[in-house]
Amino acid sequence: MGDTITVLGLESSCDDTGAAVVACAPGAPPQILSNIVAAQGDLHAAFGGVVPEIAARAHVEALDHCVEAALEAADRGLADLDAVAVTAGPGLIGGVMAGVMCAKGIAAGAGLPLIGVNHLAGHALTPRLTDGLAFPYLMLLVSGGHCQFLAVRGVEDFARLGGTIDDAPGEAFDKTARLLGLAQPGGPAVERAAEGGDAGRFAFPRPLLDRPGCDMSFSGLKTALLRACDAAVDARGGLTEEDRADLCAGFQAAVADVLAEKTRRALAAFAAMTGATGPLAVAGGVAANRTLRAALTAVAETAGARFVAPPAALCTDNAAMIAWAGIERYRLGHRDGMDLTARPRWPLDTAAPAQLGGGKKGAKA
Amino acid sequence: MSPILAFDTSAAHCAAALVSGDRVVGARVEEMARGQAERLMPLLLELLADAGLDWRDLSALAVGVGPGNFTGIRISVAAARGLMLSTGLPGHGVSTLEALAHGLPRPVLAVADARRERVYAERFGATPVAAALHPIAALPPELACPGLGVIGDRAEAVAERLGATPLPRPPLDETVAAMARIAMGRGAPAARPAPLYLRPADAAPPRDAAPRLLP
Repeated sequence: MGDTITVLGLESSCDDTGAAVVACAPGAPPQILSNIVAAQGDLHAAFGGVVPEIAARAHVEALDHCVEAALEAADRGLADLDAVAVTAGPGLIGGVMAGVMCAKGIAAGAGLPLIGVNHLAGHALTPRLTDGLAFPYLMLLVSGGHCQFLAVRGVEDFARLGGTIDDAPGEAFDKTARLLGLAQPGGPAVERAAEGGDAGRFAFPRPLLDRPGCDMSFSGLKTALLRACDAAVDARGGLTEEDRADLCAGFQAAVADVLAEKTRRALAAFAAMTGATGPLAVAGGVAANRTLRAALTAVAETAGARFVAPPAALCTDNAAMIAWAGIERYRLGHRDGMDLTARPRWPLDTAAPAQLGGGKKGAKA
Repeated sequence: MSPILAFDTSAAHCAAALVSGDRVVGARVEEMARGQAERLMPLLLELLADAGLDWRDLSALAVGVGPGNFTGIRISVAAARGLMLSTGLPGHGVSTLEALAHGLPRPVLAVADARRERVYAERFGATPVAAALHPIAALPPELACPGLGVIGDRAEAVAERLGATPLPRPPLDETVAAMARIAMGRGAPAARPAPLYLRPADAAPPRDAAPRLLP
């Protein structure tokens, strides 16, 4: 295929098993030849959240099937590939390890180079896959497990401008849904329930808005929601649909306000660092929420920054972003050995000081 | 006869053997409490290189599917399924208990450590008793039978409870070679290798019950 680089990507860091084939010819936009995702939602539904051991068990028996489906859908064989890229962290270690071992088996047996990809880099480089963004740009990564602002200056050059010091917003959405008896995953369920709700009825805090900087906190918001819910239940012995809609709308508005204000500050910090006004790109499942997206769009517009939101399927966990990040690393000459390590924690910005609550080994969220 | 490559990381080791017919062409055993995910594939490649073999010289893969350490089992099973995909080799999942009991006179009870004073146990011969998880202090009496030998982790403690005879444990390379021999005796595999957990995942439903919804 001449100078075209074709890479198989594998993703298994949370509750979605993914495999994808992405090709890139010089001077042409990259092409997603296939992007297979096998979601495990049903397996975890009864537990109100992702159970790591259940996730790992599902990944190990789904990965090879996903790879076969991805190759078939792309109409490519292993002989057509230039490399195998795999999420090597951060994430739930059992799943990451299953992906890394499957990728090693494929690469070793086919004689292909292996490229370990940081899952967060996969998200952060996605705007280059979907919209051809040039460096630098500001990335807001906001999902069930992550929440951070990154100045993306190169394939391996990320500066963390701020992030959550406790939970990710997606966790807070899931918890809200659990507390209110809504379905998992919580994001879409809370968003639906919030429609027509009165966001002003319950007063929710806007944590850390009174502090300078781009750090965020969402765990207090969870507690506030629990209290408001308990108070409503104590008063009448249960919740009405209206209570629930108002609670969801109030919670969602608080998350949107925090993310919008912190994004405004991050755009300013990004401009001070790089001299550039945006662009602002988002990724992660929470970025699919329409209220949040509208708030972020408005912030970018006010700042005069271009706003880039990849399609939902490439915002949530997927393997196309891993294959793409693999291509970006491959072009820089990066290769990993068969001793590639799966890492539960792997901060993108190794120069940034450890996050509060992040533990010695780096940020969780 | 083209060799079979067998490997296992179901406990604190990385182990592999190349078996051709009756002959063990090569074997590697490395004890390690962690690091199997990093070590396994280089170890397999070294074993093949030392034997002057390539993947296409093999006839099949055999992989230890447990019971044992969940993460360890998944390391080998995921690697085996990736290798099957890339090499086209058939892959046989082999129980570590079956491998322990291979070639021993029956009846024999094979046991593997399940931590917290528990074992995975399976009886071969007499009336077979399927593999299951048991506390050592509460082994079901039906595991016992006349002339029973016990092989594997905690064999002495288990044998004492059951009034059976503990058997000396063979070196690990022989157990892994037995996985290849077991695979050799089978037809084409009906299913892809899958972990043999024998214990459900630790998971509890959420504590916070949803509030009653009022009309």
